[in-house]
Amino acid sequence: MLGLFVFQLATLKLKPSVSSTINTRHEDVTCTYCGLLCDDLVVRTDGATVTPIRNACAKATAAYADSSARVTAFIAGQPAAIEHAITSAVNLLRKARQPLVAGLGADLAGLRAAFALAEHCGAVVDHLHGGALRQNLKVLQSRGWQTTTLSELRNRADLVVLVGVDVNVNYQNLIPRFLSPTAALQPERRRERRLIYLGPNQGAPSACGELPLDTLRCDTDALPTLLRALQSALAGGTVSGAPKRRKLLVELAAKIKAAAYPVFVWAAGQLDPAHADLTISAVCDIVASLNRTQRAAGLNLGGDDGGQTAVSAATWLTGFPLSVSYAGNTLDYAPERWSADALLRDRAVDLCVWISAFSPRLPPVAANAIPTIVLGPPGMTPAKNAVYIPVGTPGIDHAGQLIRTDAVVSLPLRQLRHSNLLTVADVLGRTLNALRT
Amino acid sequence: MTDKSITELRGGRVYDPAHGEDGVIRSVYLRRDGIVSSAPDPAAIKESIDISGCVVMAGGVDIHTHIGGGKVNIARMLLPEDHAANLTVRGEHPRLGSGRAAPSTLTTGYRYAQMGYTACFEPAMLPANARHAHMEMADTPLVDKGAYALLGNDDFFLRRLAAGADPKEFQDYIAYTLRAAQALAIKVVNPGGINAFKFNQRKLDLDEANTAYGVTPRQIVRTLAEGIHALGLAHPLHIHGCNLGVAGNVETTLATIRALDGLRAHFTHIQFHSYGTEGDRKFSSGAQAVAEAVNANPNISIDVGQIMFGQTVTESGDSMRQYAGSAFASPKKSVIMDIECDAGCGVVPFKYKDKSFVNALQWAIGLELFLSTRDPWRIFLTTDHPNGAPFTSYPHLIRLLMDASFRRERLATIAPDAAAASHLGSLGREYSLYEIAIITRAAPARSLGLKNLGHLGAGARGDVTVYVDDANRERMFATPHLVYKAGELIVRDGKIVATPRGATHVTRADYDPAIEKALDAYFATYMSVRRRNIAVADAEIEDFGHSPLIQHQARRNAS
Ligand SMILES: [Zn+2]
Repeated sequence: MLGLFVFQLATLKLKPSVSSTINTRHEDVTCTYCGLLCDDLVVRTDGATVTPIRNACAKATAAYADSSARVTAFIAGQPAAIEHAITSAVNLLRKARQPLVAGLGADLAGLRAAFALAEHCGAVVDHLHGGALRQNLKVLQSRGWQTTTLSELRNRADLVVLVGVDVNVNYQNLIPRFLSPTAALQPERRRERRLIYLGPNQGAPSACGELPLDTLRCDTDALPTLLRALQSALAGGTVSGAPKRRKLLVELAAKIKAAAYPVFVWAAGQLDPAHADLTISAVCDIVASLNRTQRAAGLNLGGDDGGQTAVSAATWLTGFPLSVSYAGNTLDYAPERWSADALLRDRAVDLCVWISAFSPRLPPVAANAIPTIVLGPPGMTPAKNAVYIPVGTPGIDHAGQLIRTDAVVSLPLRQLRHSNLLTVADVLGRTLNALRT
Repeated sequence: MTDKSITELRGGRVYDPAHGEDGVIRSVYLRRDGIVSSAPDPAAIKESIDISGCVVMAGGVDIHTHIGGGKVNIARMLLPEDHAANLTVRGEHPRLGSGRAAPSTLTTGYRYAQMGYTACFEPAMLPANARHAHMEMADTPLVDKGAYALLGNDDFFLRRLAAGADPKEFQDYIAYTLRAAQALAIKVVNPGGINAFKFNQRKLDLDEANTAYGVTPRQIVRTLAEGIHALGLAHPLHIHGCNLGVAGNVETTLATIRALDGLRAHFTHIQFHSYGTEGDRKFSSGAQAVAEAVNANPNISIDVGQIMFGQTVTESGDSMRQYAGSAFASPKKSVIMDIECDAGCGVVPFKYKDKSFVNALQWAIGLELFLSTRDPWRIFLTTDHPNGAPFTSYPHLIRLLMDASFRRERLATIAPDAAAASHLGSLGREYSLYEIAIITRAAPARSLGLKNLGHLGAGARGDVTVYVDDANRERMFATPHLVYKAGELIVRDGKIVATPRGATHVTRADYDPAIEKALDAYFATYMSVRRRNIAVADAEIEDFGHSPLIQHQARRNAS
């Protein structure tokens, strides 16, 4: 009797659904749609529909609206029960000689489970924004840096230099939330605050409150050269180029030197991949020379889709940021070699476990050539060769934790609607348990 | 009905200073719920293990070790070379890992347990980074853990101090911070100096005002120490003082001890704060003066922060002093951060060289402090891991303390001018096993108010380490024969045989909820997060972290 009861409970839990009959208002909700992790959203849930009603940026508003109720697992294009999909995944993992665990769009619990599974299977791990994350790490590991965090930016900065950061398309709340509010612990810093934008035309902020803005246009791939010229101007050295541009650089240098706490902001994912590390190094060099006599700091924006959490957790669990391989007798950290894109392109892996719990993002097309296990929100239509297991979205369907872009602040994600979708941690935990038996 | 649940450890020599036991040959009885303090019904004994010739102590307790949180993880990210050169292999530990100076969390837990330590306390948890610190500690297996929350550089505190707020408000703020950060104790780092660095001040003496708020380190230290005293926290204010690493800082240290005027306080990694300015190089040992002050002031405890020669990484909340130190980084890279109007951090890799006058003298100063401080209950063994050296050098350090001839041998190998400038050669003291048991478990546990750790009597959780007695104390303390965690065998002869998670210790003190209202408004007006979101819920530690939460309730002192 008792056995039957337990069995029924387990079945109930496995039967997925997304529903709620109550219309509820949630305050101080953490948004997971970029690395800023704004935690002041006001959100209304009506059944399965989650609608931000205050403080969400346009990108987040669209992302919250993009949710499906079609909760069906698929095996090779055919609808399947979730238990069967997990069994298929286990069988694929048993057969794989070199699996890849990629995407890593998950909350901390999901990431812990992903690393445990990868270690058991001898997999390589990488995040879907691994390329951008590696640009920062390359600079960090070669020279270090001096940085700040969002509350310091909000209160201390009297000058903010956006280095190729396009806040029109991502990090949309940077200015309204951290730069234009009128209150600041040091009110004079807020009164004097001005913006400088360096980068291509279309990326210049289209709205910046009433903050004065200086713009110096240049293509993204020319940013390193521009920054070296700025560094020279800051040092009082010669500046080359057209007279008008020279004059502008010298003026900007004077403003930077007069500032009490200039902050240089970059977003590795928005820089030209071929030159991103050069741009970031140049920024860090400027910050370093300024700090010899005055204060200045860098701030990097990134780590979207759980990316910062993935790098941070990889680092504490293995000792290495991404990407690492568990394939051998020891860990192997070889950031470029273990890039998921490269491994898929070169057919160096024979199975791809793709995790994207925050958005219905499919694995890279190259993964279509090999068996794939996809964990993502309901309603995805993965390729024919995939086992697809719908999972809940952290911060909507279940509680969780994420680390913000500055790698310092982490925030709780609360459940916003009734849901019995499995979490990434559930699915990977069950998979690992099955592999162990 | 007899339930066979007890393990008997028979024939070992027991060193349990909390109960005055100095090498008593007796059986120790263990059960999953803790030590059984009197001889049980023989029918209840599941197994009886002969450990004749062995030394039995409670599990080691490290009162100051940087094991988890933002700066530790930055150190790991910054130094893939340290990790690539120190990889664990499959089968060595339950899971893979890497690193020596800043090992991965899993490896940290395994290595501490292999060394017979069963509790480790992270001393520098920024409230803004508390959730992250707990995430890492949750992934540090086998050991109990806890953390000290940093106060005294945060703008909220400095504003209220500048405004002359009532002492009661600071007590509420301290108690609230313990709750929100899930902390065991309170630490101050370079009081006011981390904040001052944000305004481009490059040094801050005890009576020098922070330019933004006009308050001095002396006021900050007094306010926190008084608040902690009033709340009745077991562990007093944990102080990383002004002027870390600066020649002549011994005067600041002595002045800070005087400033406390009898209030209890703990001075951490005091080796880094015990430097004079004598001699040709204007750098000398201040150890004798500091030891005398500690001996004369029973309200003061210290841990040493011993340095060892070799590569390590220094990581500290003290962004002001770490920035100054970044000029000496080896390899040449460092990370300095201003953090969340809360505090800061600095991560600077460093190589201590035995042929360097300054480094060699630092080594000697640490040992002088160990050997000249008389009351072992007020001095704790630390290397300020990894700032002075990685924690894995503890067995070597224990040998240096217990074996005067070994110490003299080592002294002969360091820079001769440093050896000549130090008293160390004339100090013949050798620590006994009983004293080692005090400074590595009994005293730190007592200082932290952990009634269930650091001893082998009634109420102990059953963390026990059994060492094979060996005249080579380094070998003896490196690889104990048996290690038990909460009554469960976790390590046998260096091999990990079980992987319990370890509990998280926190202190609770009552506070007026009005402070939460004030902070709600402050966070909403100025900070980048909501107050309720930055506070760490119990469930995050118990459910997400799978770590039992052990709550220690503070009892207010009558004012
Ligand atoms: Zn320390």
